[in-house]
Amino acid sequence: MAQPIKLSVPSDPKYLGLIRKVLQELLDSHDVPADTARRLILCVDEACANVIKHSYEGPCDEPIEATFTIEGDDFKVQIRDYGKQCDTSQIKPRCLDKVAPGGLGTHFINEIMDEVSYCTNRAKGTLLTMIKKLKSELTSAQDKDKG
Amino acid sequence: MGIDLQLDKGEDSVTVTVSGDIDMSSSTKMRDVLTPLFQKDNKVIVVDLSGVGYMDSSGIATLVEGLQWSHNSKNKFRLAALSPGVKDVFEIARLLTVFEVFDTKEQALVG
Repeated sequence: MAQPIKLSVPSDPKYLGLIRKVLQELLDSHDVPADTARRLILCVDEACANVIKHSYEGPCDEPIEATFTIEGDDFKVQIRDYGKQCDTSQIKPRCLDKVAPGGLGTHFINEIMDEVSYCTNRAKGTLLTMIKKLKSELTSAQDKDKG
Repeated sequence: MGIDLQLDKGEDSVTVTVSGDIDMSSSTKMRDVLTPLFQKDNKVIVVDLSGVGYMDSSGIATLVEGLQWSHNSKNKFRLAALSPGVKDVFEIARLLTVFEVFDTKEQALVG
């Protein structure tokens, strides 16, 4: 599938479930193992939640554009918003040694995805690109089936 | 999709059974139910997550507040019946060994 799947939703938390459902269908249709699919969905959900919290800071009617592409072994997702830009060098997961509420979303994204980049080189907002190499995941699932 | 929360009050314990997906849109509801329970009289709070198929960091954050209450009060805050998906999220957050986690709510009540 080189043709991307594009989804645009308002910045309302109630649409996070819709994004998860669409992505679940897409990953199922490409036989992505359930464990991997669950983790990819978590990353996309966390990224969109971060847009709602940190880029738009409240309004529920701003656009969040998600683009999913599965090409070769790569699953690529791009999340575009038009809200407040932040210093991308400051986006990093917090130390997990201290048990505290909050701040885990970025950790999930960095832990699960193979490549993560934030681009603010535009008039408004941010483009987040996340890539996961599916080859090893698909191979291990096939090995499991054979076993 | 919203969540449903059922409370079952024992003598000095409370079991909260949660059903549905816990994300940014629904975790506030769980927090609103749990927070008033963080008081001395409740020696044991059990959160039964058997009906939860999905949980994101906002759900974890709410449960961490319960953990902090238990550390400060010396009371118990326990989780029960985590689905594989929810357990995986706790593992990635490196919190699975930090919480008291039980296979069933009955086991969690006994401890």
